[in-house]
Amino acid sequence: MSFILRRISTTKTGKQIIRDTPLPGDTITLGREGSNVIHVADLAVNPHHATISSTDGRHVRVAASEGLGFDFNGRSVDAAEVDGAAGAELRFGGHRLTIAREGDNIILLVERIDELSQSSKDVDEAKAFSLQGVMLGKRMGAWAFGLLMLLAFLIGPIWAWYSYKNVNERPDGYHADSAWLSGPLSSAHASLKKDCQSCHVEPFVAVTDKACVGCHTGEHKTMSMAHANAPTAMLLAARHPPGVGERILDGFAKTFNKPQGRCVDCHTEHEGAGPMPATPQKFCADCHDGMSARLKTAGHPTTLADAADFGTSHPEFRPLVRPAPGAKPVRAAPGKGTVDYNGLKFPHDMHLQATGGVARMAASFRGRYDFGKQLECQNCHRVEADGVRVKPVEMERDCAMCHSLAFETVGGVTRTLRHGEPDQVVADLTAYYRSTPPVRPLQLGGMQRRRPGAYAEGQVYNIYFREVAVRPSRAQDAVRAVFSKGGACYDCHTIFAPQAGNSWRVMAVNQTPRFLEKGWFDHDAHRESDCADCHTAAPASKASTDLLVPGLRQCRDCHVGEGGARLVKVETATESPCAMCHEYHSDGGKPWMPPRQRKKNVAAITNKPLRASYGVSMITGTGGRGLYDVTWRTPVLHGARRGG
Amino acid sequence: MASLFQRRRTKATQTERVRERRHEGFLRYAGFRWAKISGGLCLLIIVSYALVDVTPRHSGGSWYGYTLGAIGAGLILWLTALGYRKRKMTNDAWSLKAWTSAHVYLGLSLIVIGTWHTGFQLGWNVHTLAWVLMMLVILSGLYGVIVYATLPAALSNNRDEMTQMQMLEAIRAFDRQLHSAAQPLTPADTAPVLAALGEDPFAGGVTARLSGRYPDCATAAALRTLSASHGSDVEAREKVVGLLKQKQAALARLRQHLRIRGLLEIWLYVHVPLTFALIAALSAHIISVFFYW
Repeated sequence: MSFILRRISTTKTGKQIIRDTPLPGDTITLGREGSNVIHVADLAVNPHHATISSTDGRHVRVAASEGLGFDFNGRSVDAAEVDGAAGAELRFGGHRLTIAREGDNIILLVERIDELSQSSKDVDEAKAFSLQGVMLGKRMGAWAFGLLMLLAFLIGPIWAWYSYKNVNERPDGYHADSAWLSGPLSSAHASLKKDCQSCHVEPFVAVTDKACVGCHTGEHKTMSMAHANAPTAMLLAARHPPGVGERILDGFAKTFNKPQGRCVDCHTEHEGAGPMPATPQKFCADCHDGMSARLKTAGHPTTLADAADFGTSHPEFRPLVRPAPGAKPVRAAPGKGTVDYNGLKFPHDMHLQATGGVARMAASFRGRYDFGKQLECQNCHRVEADGVRVKPVEMERDCAMCHSLAFETVGGVTRTLRHGEPDQVVADLTAYYRSTPPVRPLQLGGMQRRRPGAYAEGQVYNIYFREVAVRPSRAQDAVRAVFSKGGACYDCHTIFAPQAGNSWRVMAVNQTPRFLEKGWFDHDAHRESDCADCHTAAPASKASTDLLVPGLRQCRDCHVGEGGARLVKVETATESPCAMCHEYHSDGGKPWMPPRQRKKNVAAITNKPLRASYGVSMITGTGGRGLYDVTWRTPVLHGARRGG
Repeated sequence: MASLFQRRRTKATQTERVRERRHEGFLRYAGFRWAKISGGLCLLIIVSYALVDVTPRHSGGSWYGYTLGAIGAGLILWLTALGYRKRKMTNDAWSLKAWTSAHVYLGLSLIVIGTWHTGFQLGWNVHTLAWVLMMLVILSGLYGVIVYATLPAALSNNRDEMTQMQMLEAIRAFDRQLHSAAQPLTPADTAPVLAALGEDPFAGGVTARLSGRYPDCATAAALRTLSASHGSDVEAREKVVGLLKQKQAALARLRQHLRIRGLLEIWLYVHVPLTFALIAALSAHIISVFFYW
């Protein structure tokens, strides 16, 4: 038996050349060092790695000598017994030792099977030098990301819509189509955030009015009262002829199934949290700009004036006035010299003077009423709670503190003439003269005897008793005095003298609560301005027939068009779309405005009825200093007090 | 007549020669033609956005917004088509260089088109997602343009007129020499050398590739260990140390090469997958608009 070391080399043509070298001795050493019988130039092999021996020529024993083992049939061992006939493969570092028996000889075949180093391995140049080796493939990423997007943001939302297709209200929780929310809903609709289907009912169908009136029952069901009765042909003729751009847009709208004239055209949604934005001016001006000419051409003549922009193109106001005493109210024709007969005599100039009798009287009331050094507009005029209409001036509340109707005091209670009832005034005065004797002179008092010849006393006596005798007939004179020039009624009212079958009559008083019927002027929003800033004619007005309603000119001092257009110089401009004053739906309310834009009415109008005013004191008694405690002014019926 | 055309062609050839000599890249193609077109487009959009009165305010849902959106979506699809175009060999007027130039500049103009399309209304929804993806794609592309303009010079300097396979071959040669030079060393000294031989020059994740830092480099470790060792024959060890130093230098060159190549390529791993994510999100965005019309 002998060991034979076999070497196999391969020629360039691929032919194998086998060289066998017999090895001396029974024990073969294997290692990296040159002194070994089998020298393996492999750094992974120890200098003296193992010994190979055989005692019987059949079995081969391989034993590691320096602690570093070897692989035997895949396992790492320190020693191995190999049946030569069966053969075995052992591995030392990067080399393979194959043991086999051929006849009596044991063949040891040593081959390098591993590359010398990692870098020696073959590489795919295109892959190894680029990032392909260390990154997930681009194609893979493209598919993964793309599918993820489609799943989360297309399939998911459509699934959410589909699963609640016939459900009235969606349950709370996450719905995939909330990823489609294009912008926050207005505060009014914020609760619908999770329920897209409450408005977007059908897919690929633009939101219909049906979705709106489903909840908004009763609120302006018709498009607009002003427009509802107009024939369609007229409405169509009113629209301005579409330009090229608009025709293109209309074409697109038609193509993509987005009909015009829906609620959402004006009431735009998804425009940000907070109140819904007010309707832009364009929606009105589309028709009303240059409309009268178009309507005339189309055979629908109109009296409506054109309006396009408050700052530049708006007709003059036409307030509601009574052009003659007792006439029906009509809208004033544009132009100057408009008069309004309300039936009262009231010179504003006298009452608003800073000096003079009225101012002095008002000043004397300071602390008792809301008066300052002089009379102010708001001392008599009060605005209704809606801010638009003005309360009528009431005699008892607004005039009587100065214009007293008191005529008698009975046990501390002042009796006054009944305002608004001329017949009652006549009756009261008549009764007064009938029931009260003239003031009895002092000379006629006492029980002592009078000496004859006291003529003076007799004169008084005669005067007094004559007066007592004729006193009831004095009532006629007093009544006539009250209703005639210089009398209490005549100062403010137009009086009709008694005619056949009629007693004294007073002309009816008509105070117009709202002069501008089409626009909604809000007094509350203008609290910070002085009345006279707008009602410029009031301080100089001598007659109550002067119309003191401000014109467009005064508004334009501050208000400009929606886009800031203006004709005059404006210091602090307020952009005013149509909807600031005009109410499209004409359903009786003020035009809606986002609460943030609304001016808050911080100071409530003080409008408590004055205490101890006429009538009330008769029932409750005078509560301290009341209206008729005023003593410095001579009562109207001074003649009666002096004894006729 | 014939001479006229002849001259014109000569002139065209001349221009082409000048271009070739100056190496007119895709950025300065045709005297920045596409940069001018794209800049003009952006200017037009910015000015018209300010002039056009859209009620109640600018958004993707106004007619102006839809116009910009349609332009943007079409542009995105066309820009994506560069991936198809570059795989097609053609010899007509639309050279790949022209196409790439247009891709870069029109792609940048998409920043304005897309952002002005939104009317600056952004939120947490699919619409803004599409915008964000678009911006990421554009910004990654912008990065790509910048590194394409700056890094090739560094790549060339680092290469030192070697091909990348030659760099690898140098390492292999040092490995072979190391292997034979380390034979006389003690087992304790051969272990680090063996580790150095077993080190894959392409190992390391994307972080190591892009940063160029390999703190666990076995070659550097072997160099440290052997320099401090006293075990083996001094002569043999010094030879190994010398070889390790040389291998480390070769490795450093290769790694720098890999780093620059990585920096030149990494943006595509954002640009391409996100483009397809963008197209998917864009589809969802467009369909959602019409679905909830």
